[in-house]
Amino acid sequence: MNIPINTDLSVSDLSVHSQSGPIVSGVSLAVGRGRPLTLLGESGSGKSLVAQAIMGNLPNELRATGHILFKGAEILRETPSERRRRWGRSISLLPQEPWLALDPTMRVAPQVAEVHRYVKAKSVEDSAVAARSNLSDVSLQQAAELYPFQMSGGMGQRAAIAIAHAADAELLIADEPTKGLDAALRRSVTARLLSEVEAGRLLLTITHDVAVARALGGTIGVMLDGRLVEYGEARKLLEAPEHSYTKALLAAEPARWEPRKQKNAGEMVVAGRGLEKRYGDKALFSGLDIEVAAGEIVSIFGPSGCGKTTIGNILLGLAKSDEGMVERKPDLSPLRFQKLYQDPPAAFAPHQTIRKGLKDLVRLHGKDWADVEALAGRLRLSDILLDRLPGQISGGELQRFALLRALLLAPVFLFADEATSRLDPVSQKEVVTFLREIVEETGLAVLLVTHDRDVAEKISTRMIDLGGSRLRDR
Amino acid sequence: MSTIDNMTSTRARTGVGTARLAGAGLLILLGGFALLGPLVISSDPSAQDLGASLAPIGGDYLLGADHYGRSLLARLAHGARLSFGMAFLTMLAAAVPGILLGLAAAWKGGWAERMLEFVATVVLALPGLMLVLLLLAFSPGDYGPLFLGLSLTLWVEFYRLTKATTRTVLAQPHIEAARMLGFGSRYILVHYVLPVIGPMIATLSAFAMATAIIAVSTLSAISVGLQPPTPELGSMIVELLPYFAEAPVHVLLPAVLIFLLVLGLQLLAQGDRA
Amino acid sequence: MKNFLVARLLQAGIVSVAVGALCFILMRVLPGDAAMRIAAGRYGPDARIADAAEKVRLELGLDRPIAMQFLEWLGSLARFDLGHSLVTGRAVAHELQVQLGASVWLAAAALVLSLLIGPIVGLFGGLKPGGAADRLGLMGAVIFRAIPPFVLGLILMLVFSRQLGWLPPAGFGSPREILLPALTLALGLAAMSSRVTRNAVAAVAQAPYFAFARYKGLSEPIVVRRHGLRNAAIPVVSYLGLQAIYLIEGVVVVESLFAYPGIGHALVHAIVERDIPMVQGTALMMGLMFVAIGAAVDLLTLWLDPRTGKTV
Repeated sequence: MNIPINTDLSVSDLSVHSQSGPIVSGVSLAVGRGRPLTLLGESGSGKSLVAQAIMGNLPNELRATGHILFKGAEILRETPSERRRRWGRSISLLPQEPWLALDPTMRVAPQVAEVHRYVKAKSVEDSAVAARSNLSDVSLQQAAELYPFQMSGGMGQRAAIAIAHAADAELLIADEPTKGLDAALRRSVTARLLSEVEAGRLLLTITHDVAVARALGGTIGVMLDGRLVEYGEARKLLEAPEHSYTKALLAAEPARWEPRKQKNAGEMVVAGRGLEKRYGDKALFSGLDIEVAAGEIVSIFGPSGCGKTTIGNILLGLAKSDEGMVERKPDLSPLRFQKLYQDPPAAFAPHQTIRKGLKDLVRLHGKDWADVEALAGRLRLSDILLDRLPGQISGGELQRFALLRALLLAPVFLFADEATSRLDPVSQKEVVTFLREIVEETGLAVLLVTHDRDVAEKISTRMIDLGGSRLRDR
Repeated sequence: MSTIDNMTSTRARTGVGTARLAGAGLLILLGGFALLGPLVISSDPSAQDLGASLAPIGGDYLLGADHYGRSLLARLAHGARLSFGMAFLTMLAAAVPGILLGLAAAWKGGWAERMLEFVATVVLALPGLMLVLLLLAFSPGDYGPLFLGLSLTLWVEFYRLTKATTRTVLAQPHIEAARMLGFGSRYILVHYVLPVIGPMIATLSAFAMATAIIAVSTLSAISVGLQPPTPELGSMIVELLPYFAEAPVHVLLPAVLIFLLVLGLQLLAQGDRA
Repeated sequence: MKNFLVARLLQAGIVSVAVGALCFILMRVLPGDAAMRIAAGRYGPDARIADAAEKVRLELGLDRPIAMQFLEWLGSLARFDLGHSLVTGRAVAHELQVQLGASVWLAAAALVLSLLIGPIVGLFGGLKPGGAADRLGLMGAVIFRAIPPFVLGLILMLVFSRQLGWLPPAGFGSPREILLPALTLALGLAAMSSRVTRNAVAAVAQAPYFAFARYKGLSEPIVVRRHGLRNAAIPVVSYLGLQAIYLIEGVVVVESLFAYPGIGHALVHAIVERDIPMVQGTALMMGLMFVAIGAAVDLLTLWLDPRTGKTV
């Protein structure tokens, strides 16, 4: 790990200790002008704690050791009040999910203006004028008089950037800047962060999203279990990762998945003809034809709110279309049409153990518990998980249980509604791999709804793009 | 920076258990006194012995006697039984229709639900005690209007809670998933809805009983509820009040009993989450 | 904004019809001659009652359908023609004027006192959840909530006027006399609002926007003033709407206990004496006071919280 000497922020041998031992150890890194740093890692990897140590807002029960040099000052030796004096002056924070970090009862303009008024001690009038100009920098001049609840997620993100501009601090710490945002908005967020770098600010970004790290360039640090396992120039690190975790992380990116082998599709299982759905006067979609055949994966791709989930629900009979009709392969039990949900914990009763749910299902349909065991082995779900509650199992494992549950009923059609979007990349790849194998073996017909173009492109035989082009140009 | 925030906010939650346990223990003691007291204590709560007027505590009468020389121990036991009994019956009369109607409204919706909502709005337009008072005007001092008025105001809370919670549960994806997997309404009700609403209803029931105990004693104390010589805790306080100078503890005994009954129910209902 | 007003107007309508209907039924089911009672209620007992009763009998007599009679009953209610008291013979509206003032004073004094106690106790608890102030506040809240208002009133009366002799046990006229009944209600109200405040303050202190205000570089007093107070006040104020129930019920109880000459006291008296015009008038006033408090809370919440009333 070679750290350039001429930097504006350098961290060496940083450790964070809790009462039960170190939770971050031996982290060294540096941020320089024009050279942003991105810390990449899952939640719990310690990346947030590193940022908190720099910011100076570690929880009281945690203790940091090592060195953090910022503008020649040793931050860890400063008192809490000295550190707090940096906030909004030399360090500013771009909070995660900024729409939650804005005061819900105050209009946007005063939330920007108060930085000028109380931190920079400008007059009331000057503060208001300066705030207007900060807001128009991020094209929010129209939104100055709105309350946070009246703004979209993207607008909230820009408002937070306007507040950072008002502070005009040297160091900007961006905490999970794309969390909760649509894929289409991610690109604009990274573009804005890059323009901060061009404006001469030091940028430290914390993210779990490889795409963000790639877009920002500069330096990347990969964190795992409280350690910095890989650190280096972005392009080099992304092209030739050395650590096994980094390799797995990069391989799990949908863009790197193996493309699906083409195979002749079988008989039609379910189809919608001339479907239309309206909300009020506005048609979400109309004249839509869709057909899913045995052994194929059809993807519907589009931004949130475009009605893609509704199409799947119409095919399953869970929602009604305003026009058109649904056709199913005749003489099939409705139980053979199943669904996977976006949020795995919500698809299981929270107070029922997995075993009890599966047992009742087996009994209801006169199946054999051996089927469950066979499928569990197949999906690499260990026996001890069965006696846990849904909340005590990871999302990836839970989604595999949902798959198991559906497979017990020998489905012919499966609607996967953003079924992997909330999983970490490695689990996502795992679930998708299983799904692909099952499709190949059993001739299951799958309809996949996703907002991730790469996922759709890699695994589906056919793709339906719902109004995506308009948004991509933004 | 969210994970660590969550870590620090999960505070130790001891104490919730102890408060609940204390409430349960208190109620078991008081319940035993109310149920067994009237059987074990042979003296009649309305037998007068003017010679023993305001007899002191610990003498011939274990807890003393009131101004008519009636055994306070017997009167307190009967009073506790009356309060408990009234409260329990009122709660049942409110809970059973409230829960059933709430389930029906959440499950079916439509016209029936709108009707029920309207009735609930009408009942809630007035504070509960006002409705009870107006009904008591028909025949002051009777159990009937008291019981009817209290149940009439309390069922709405059971109805609203059941309806709202059931509706939330039914809207969750896991219910849709269960239906797609072939489970019927009965299974969903028993395994998915009841476990969620059960604890909430238990809490509300304890609160409803506390409300009923307070209301019954209050109405007697302002002389529109149950009338003397019924051994009712509220009217006992008011009856004894003029003799406060001579026998202050006598006045406080029924008051303490009401306090402990309500405290026990409230602790049981919500533990430390006051 | 409009929705709130419509809902409260509707509530006022429901209150009037419900009270009117119950009193209408009451007038007819009570043993004795209904016409006589109605006549006395309308013209006062000193009128030539037999003649008047005959007139009433003809006017709303048995020959007319009951629905018509009921509509007429509601009609006079809508014109605020509340009749005369069967006991004193004075116009109900006249009696209510005096009593309403007394009750409003009591309710207002209780509310102000409770706001001086509850939120302050809650604030100290919420600033350091689990600390000594929080535990003490919790204990106080649990205890005061388990004491019915009439018992609390008696205890205060016994302590402050019998034992210490500081305050008069009953009556009306000076602030000294309003203090005990108001304090009785205030302690009960504060027991509830202190916990709501405590939870609201603790929630705001944990909120991401509160932390972000600090990260912006604002000093602690400014963070609290600009981003703490209003947000913490919202749940406390909207909880006042629920407390209105306790307040109105408590006013009835406490007025009777302290022989305080307000509407609640009059209502209880009227029920005991079966003075139906007075029952109707007082119940109506208490009901409308309840609606008015609700409306005031609505308006206050609307002003405090921009999320209510406005949609995206």
